[in-house]
Amino acid sequence: MNTFHFKVGLFTLATFLLGTAFLAYLLYARGYFENTYRLQLAAATADGVVPGVPLVFSGIEIGHVTSLGLNENGGIVIQVELPERHAKWLKQDSIYTLDKPLIGSVKISVDSGDLVGAALPENSTMLLLTPDINKEIPVLIAQVKAILANVEHLTRKESDVNATLANLKTVTGRMTGEYGMLEGVLGSPQNARAVTESLDKTRALMTKLDTLTAKTDQWLFARDGLADSTRESLAQVRLMLDDAQSSLKKADALMTNAVAISADVKAGTQDIAALRAEIDDAVRKANALVNEINKLWPFARDPEVKLP
Amino acid sequence: MNFLAASIESLGAKIVRVLTVGYGLLAFLTEALSALLDRNTWNRATFNVVVKQVYFTAVQILPVFLTYVLVISWLMITIILTTARDFGLGQFASEMTIRVLVLELLPFLTALYIALRSGSAINTEIALMRVNNELDALAHCKVPPMPFEFLPRLISGVISVVALASLACLIAVMLGYLAIYGLNTSGFEYYTRTISKILDFKIMAGLFFKCALFGLAVTLIPITAGLETPKKLFMVPVSVLRGMMKVFFAIMVIEVVSLALKYI
Repeated sequence: MNTFHFKVGLFTLATFLLGTAFLAYLLYARGYFENTYRLQLAAATADGVVPGVPLVFSGIEIGHVTSLGLNENGGIVIQVELPERHAKWLKQDSIYTLDKPLIGSVKISVDSGDLVGAALPENSTMLLLTPDINKEIPVLIAQVKAILANVEHLTRKESDVNATLANLKTVTGRMTGEYGMLEGVLGSPQNARAVTESLDKTRALMTKLDTLTAKTDQWLFARDGLADSTRESLAQVRLMLDDAQSSLKKADALMTNAVAISADVKAGTQDIAALRAEIDDAVRKANALVNEINKLWPFARDPEVKLP
Repeated sequence: MNFLAASIESLGAKIVRVLTVGYGLLAFLTEALSALLDRNTWNRATFNVVVKQVYFTAVQILPVFLTYVLVISWLMITIILTTARDFGLGQFASEMTIRVLVLELLPFLTALYIALRSGSAINTEIALMRVNNELDALAHCKVPPMPFEFLPRLISGVISVVALASLACLIAVMLGYLAIYGLNTSGFEYYTRTISKILDFKIMAGLFFKCALFGLAVTLIPITAGLETPKKLFMVPVSVLRGMMKVFFAIMVIEVVSLALKYI
C-alpha cells in the first residue's frame, strides 16, 4: 500500500465528509428539511421592516420576514416564514407588534395570551401593530417641559418655598441667641427673659415659704406655742400655698407649650431640660412643704402638685 | 524642469512595471486555464504531481496547522466572549465569533500560512530551475513545464487552502459552541439559528470563492515571480523576496475586496 497516497486520500476524504456534513447541517439550520409555515401581516407602515427581520415569540426568534410589498388596494403586506414546528405558538388571538427600539434592530414580536386557544391556519393575514416610539418622544418632552416650568415657579426668588426658608432662617437665627430655644419659640430675647425671670421669682417665693413654714412650725409647736389660736393664720398660709400652686400651674402651662413646640426641633431641648429641672425642683419643694403641713394639719384635700 | 520630467518618467516606469507584472500574471493564468481545459493535460503523471503537491502543502502540515488553529480560535473566542459579556452583549457573542473567525480571520490566516510555507518554497524552486536551465531542458525533452510543474501546483494550492480553511472554520464553529454553552445541547437550537442567519448561500459561495482565490494567489504569484528571475544565482533570493511581497499584497487586496463586497 502506498502510504503517501493513503494519507492524501484520507485527508481529502475527511475534509470532504466534514464539509458535506457541515453543508447538510447548514441546510437543516436553514430549514430545508422542514415544511415552511407562511403568514401574512398587514401593516399601516412598513418603515424599518426589511426581509430578514425576525419574528420573535417570548424573546426567541421563531421566523423571519421573507418579502414585503403592496397589495392592489395600496395596503402593505409582509410575508413571514417560520418552520412548521414553531407554528403552534401562533394562535388566532395572537397580537403582532412591530418593535422598533431606539437602540438595536427592528423585530416583530408575537404575543399569544391564550396558549391553548385555536391555532392559526396557514396563510392567514393578521394585523401588525406599529407603535412608534419616535412619535411618543414629543409628548414626553412636552410633559417634561411642564414639570420643569413648575420647578422653576417653585424656585423663583419670591416663591413660597423661598419665603418659608427665609422664615425658618429667622427662627433658627433666634435660636442661636442668648435664650436658645425659648427665644426661638417666643420671638424675642425680652420675652424669653421674662419667662426666666418669673421662674427665678418662683424660686425666691419658695425659699421665702420655706422660712415661713419653719417659723410657723416653731410658732405652733414651741413650748409656748399658740396652736389653737393660729387657725386663722394657717388659713392664710393655705391661701399663700394656693397662690404658689397657681403660679406653678402657670409655669407648667408655659412648659407644656414649650415642650410641644420643641417636639419638632430636638436641638433646642437642652434649654428646656434645664428649665424643667428648675421647675421640678421648685415643685418638689412645694410638695414637701404641703406634705409637712398635712402631717401636722390633716386638710381634707389632695395637696399634690402634678407636672406633665 | 528636469526634475519634473524625471519624476514623471519614474512614475511612468513604475506604472509600466506594475502593468507588466499584472499582464504577466494574467497571461500565465490564461495559459494555465487553457492547459486545464486541454484533454492531454489529464494524465496519470500530472495527477501524481497534484497528489504529491497536496501532500506537501496540506497533509504534511496538518497537525501543526490544526494545533495553531485551535490555539488562535480559542484565544479569539475567549476575548470576544469576555468583551461581549462585559458590555452586556453576550447574546451577540456567537454571531461575532462566527463573523470574525469563520468569515474573515481563519481563511486569511490559512492563506498566510500556506504562503509562508509553500509559496516561498515554490518561488525558490522555480527560480532555481530557471537559473539552472532545467526548464529549458524539460522543454527540449518535449516535457512542457505547464502541465507537469506549474498546473499541479496551482491546483494543489487551491485544494489545500480551501480544505485547510474549511477544517479550521469547522473547528472554530465547534469551539465557539463549547466556549459559549459548554458540553450540553441547551444552546444547540439558538446556535444553529445564528449560523443559519449568517451563512446563507451567497456568503458561503463568497467564502469558497475567496479561499480559492487565496489558494491561487499563494501559488500563481510565486511561480510567475520565479519565472521572471534573471539567470543569475544571486538573483534567486531577490526573486523570492519580490514574489512574497506580491503574495502578501495580493492576499490583502483579496481580503479588502471581499470585505467591501460583503458590507458595502
